[in-house]
Amino acid sequence: MSYISKQERAVAINPTRSCAPIGAMLANYGIHGAITINHGSQGCATYPRHQMARHFREPVEVATTSLSEKTTVYGGKGNLLAALKNIVERFHPTLIMVCSTCLSETIGDDIPGVIDEFLDKHPEVTIPILSVKTPSYIGNHTTGFDNFLKEIANNLPERRKKKGETNGKINMIPGWVNPGDIRELKHILREMGLHGVWLTDYSETLDGGYYEPRPHVARGGTTIEELRSSSKSLATVALQRHVGGEAAHIYERRYNVPAHVLTMPIGLANTDALVDTLTEITDHPVPETLQVERARLLDALVDTHMFTTGLRVALYGDPDLLEGLVGLVAEMGMTPAYVLTAADNGPWGERMVELSEELGVESEIILKGDLHELHKRIKARPVDLLIGHSKGKFIADAERIPLLRVGFPVEDRFGYHRRAIVGYNGAIALVDEITNLIFERKASAVVSNTLLELGVEGPSNVPIAVCNGSAA
Amino acid sequence: MKFTCNQTLPERAIHIALKGPDGACQRGDGSGCFIASNSATTPGDMTERGCTYAGCRGVVGGPVKDVIQLTHGPIGCAFFSWGYRPHLADSDFHMKYTFVSDMNETNIVFGGEKKLLQCIIEASNEFPEAKGVFIYNTCSTALIGDDGRDVAKQAEELIGKPVVFFECEGFKGVSQSMGHHVGNETIFRQLVGSVEPEGDFSRAINIIGDYNIKNDLRTFEYLFEAIGVKILTRFTGNVSVDELKIMHKATLNVVHCQRSATYIADMMRDKYGTPYINVTLWGIKHMSEALRATAAFFGLEAEAEAVIARELAAIQPKIDAYRQRLQGKTVFIYQGGPRAWHWIELLRELGMETMTAATTFGHDDDYQKIFDQLSPGALMVDNPNVPEIEEILRDRRPDLFISGNKEKYVAYKLGVPFVNGHTYDTGPYAGFVGMLNFARDIDKALHAPIWQTLRTRARPAPVAHHTSHGFEEVV
Ligand code: SF4
Ligand code: SF4
Repeated sequence: MSYISKQERAVAINPTRSCAPIGAMLANYGIHGAITINHGSQGCATYPRHQMARHFREPVEVATTSLSEKTTVYGGKGNLLAALKNIVERFHPTLIMVCSTCLSETIGDDIPGVIDEFLDKHPEVTIPILSVKTPSYIGNHTTGFDNFLKEIANNLPERRKKKGETNGKINMIPGWVNPGDIRELKHILREMGLHGVWLTDYSETLDGGYYEPRPHVARGGTTIEELRSSSKSLATVALQRHVGGEAAHIYERRYNVPAHVLTMPIGLANTDALVDTLTEITDHPVPETLQVERARLLDALVDTHMFTTGLRVALYGDPDLLEGLVGLVAEMGMTPAYVLTAADNGPWGERMVELSEELGVESEIILKGDLHELHKRIKARPVDLLIGHSKGKFIADAERIPLLRVGFPVEDRFGYHRRAIVGYNGAIALVDEITNLIFERKASAVVSNTLLELGVEGPSNVPIAVCNGSAA
Repeated sequence: MKFTCNQTLPERAIHIALKGPDGACQRGDGSGCFIASNSATTPGDMTERGCTYAGCRGVVGGPVKDVIQLTHGPIGCAFFSWGYRPHLADSDFHMKYTFVSDMNETNIVFGGEKKLLQCIIEASNEFPEAKGVFIYNTCSTALIGDDGRDVAKQAEELIGKPVVFFECEGFKGVSQSMGHHVGNETIFRQLVGSVEPEGDFSRAINIIGDYNIKNDLRTFEYLFEAIGVKILTRFTGNVSVDELKIMHKATLNVVHCQRSATYIADMMRDKYGTPYINVTLWGIKHMSEALRATAAFFGLEAEAEAVIARELAAIQPKIDAYRQRLQGKTVFIYQGGPRAWHWIELLRELGMETMTAATTFGHDDDYQKIFDQLSPGALMVDNPNVPEIEEILRDRRPDLFISGNKEKYVAYKLGVPFVNGHTYDTGPYAGFVGMLNFARDIDKALHAPIWQTLRTRARPAPVAHHTSHGFEEVV
């Protein structure tokens, strides 16, 4: 039986989550030519920039209103007005997104009011300026992303001129994913002959190429025109409930665009659900290429199952990512022994219990958890594999367990932002990598293409010539 | 020197200055005044600056290896400051663990003092081996008026270990620099002199302002020991809380980073009469001078000369080899503060000339030290922002850019060779042997074949057209 437990400590030790502004900043990177102003003190902009640069290995630029002691007493309005003016004049952005911080929220600055005042004073400024609330004492990094999408959905789309007017596209909200994931999703749509409006698309802005000369504005990103027309789409497909699910419903309520909120398409069944939904919306059949990819995933699952079946896995990170991953983990015959998230999200916990029962696996779902808690669980009852972002490496090192890096941030390895974990291709890559990680464990050896477990029952004086790491 | 990108930001002019052919300062506003620094950032100018908390938690407090590093605030400040600066030690508790009181909305409304106290107790129960607790205040908890000092006092009695509260809320100063000051001042007030050990400290020194980035200490500690002095406390790199408590026993303070740590040397001089000397522990000339000055204080000159001679004999041939390969290259250094002046001489020793020097949070004295060392025609920029950095890289076209992680990718996108001077590409870079690592990294950066590939094979961005990829136009 799966069950939910909740971490009770007040102090967070090695948290798995960060704070809201970074989510809004990331999302805004997916809009062509847009700039973010973080309304707060400098750290709240510089820290996330630094973190994003370590993950994406790209230049990451975010403006700050540089609040200081004086402005916290008198309010940050003057700084915000100045920042808006400077950004408009110096960068000519297509859109400005102002996100708040714990500081500006605690002071109580009225950001939408200041934006209105700015636009009144500067009638020549016609670009959209959005205000997104991102105090991080509410929610976490995903909340910022989600709030951003809600703002977009509420403010940018134009109403349909006449009933039934359509752009023939599908609003795609991938959620908090990597550039590689967005590209894989585009591949799926393209193969199906569909066009997406991506909310948002940082597949190129945060994984750009080297060009000579360097383009003045980074290539890529969804354009404002596309966002304006997103009210005329055939449907909205959100691939994370907590990042974009709400926005999908806003499209449905306000613009009559039907919402489809799915589980993140990781693994076979979850990807099938996406492809089926797209077929359902558009009547486009599943093309040959996707059928072949799907069959290849099944083949990979067959090929590897003797190495993965029965393994215990610990997963941590954002709720939607975990929900998707658990599907694949179960398909590989592994047990998601611990599934830990930072959010205190009861409904999600219950859904995960149901899901694990459907999948026939037993899990402890840990809410409000941190990595120290997970480490204690693993010490008490070990696992074979960890799945999560880079910060889990301390557990992996201490317990000598392989870590499959997924999610954000992955800062201690190269190229993870370029990889896809969604779609049939993403799943195939994960199946291969997981199996290889198991092969590389210190406690086992690979002889030709078979696995030799060390330290198992049997005579102990058998010389073992092949062994990962040091000689046995 | 006018920046094209600053046409709409005239207030930036006073933060930019050229050293004229006559050696005089030509400031961007046309006046002969010295460069303006340590003042508030222009809102929205894309500054690279961080906050006071970052200067305190990240720089001064963070390296202390055996205390619980607890952030009092919401989650983000703690998450982002966790484990990325390689201020190493002989144990790694301080790198592996971060603690945060994780303020939520209710705490922000009703105050976080109770929760903070509970957090301290829980944390110290989880890690009984920790020797104390460092608590760093953040913007929101400062604003709601939590009395962290009082909580720390209560906690200290309950857990029987030092609990130090740093009032380093992010908005306090114009940059990280204020955080260094708070860190120095708080450690001095709360810890230094709280224990009176017995022993002979007549040849004991403190190294002030080295953070053991990538084990820098390994490159110079043995040199000081070889001349016959003992290092008592390293402020703060590979340092324990017990060592901080007794640092007042030292006979001499040797101050390396003179921006972030002179404060404590001043306070120790005023309270305990401990003299200090300013040194630079990077580069041949400076490292030798540092050893000589320290030795002179203790009358150990002969020993110092022997050590220097021995070391130079070992590295000079290699340095000479690098100099041949690096001769004549130009450099843009942009560092937090002092490294911009620490390294001008070191680069000269490698045959390279600094043509632009900039700092994030330098004060007047830092810029004076930079200015004195620069050659005519060189440029100085205070708190440069992203467009300015791009313009320098594009128009002044240095052969090499030395800066930090965020700036690295700007350089790369513009095809400029780069060495990470904040956290080091490899490191350590200090001392005599570290200089070889530095030279090797510079050499690698400059001579990697990729630059030739870019020059000959890179192509312009393809024209974008409307596709289902959600991309329509190129501006
Ligand atoms: S104050 Fe809030 S918004 Fe700023 S870094 Fe800290 S948690 Fe994030
Ligand atoms: S909230 Fe304040 S202390 Fe925290 S990162 Fe932001 S500026 Fe720094």
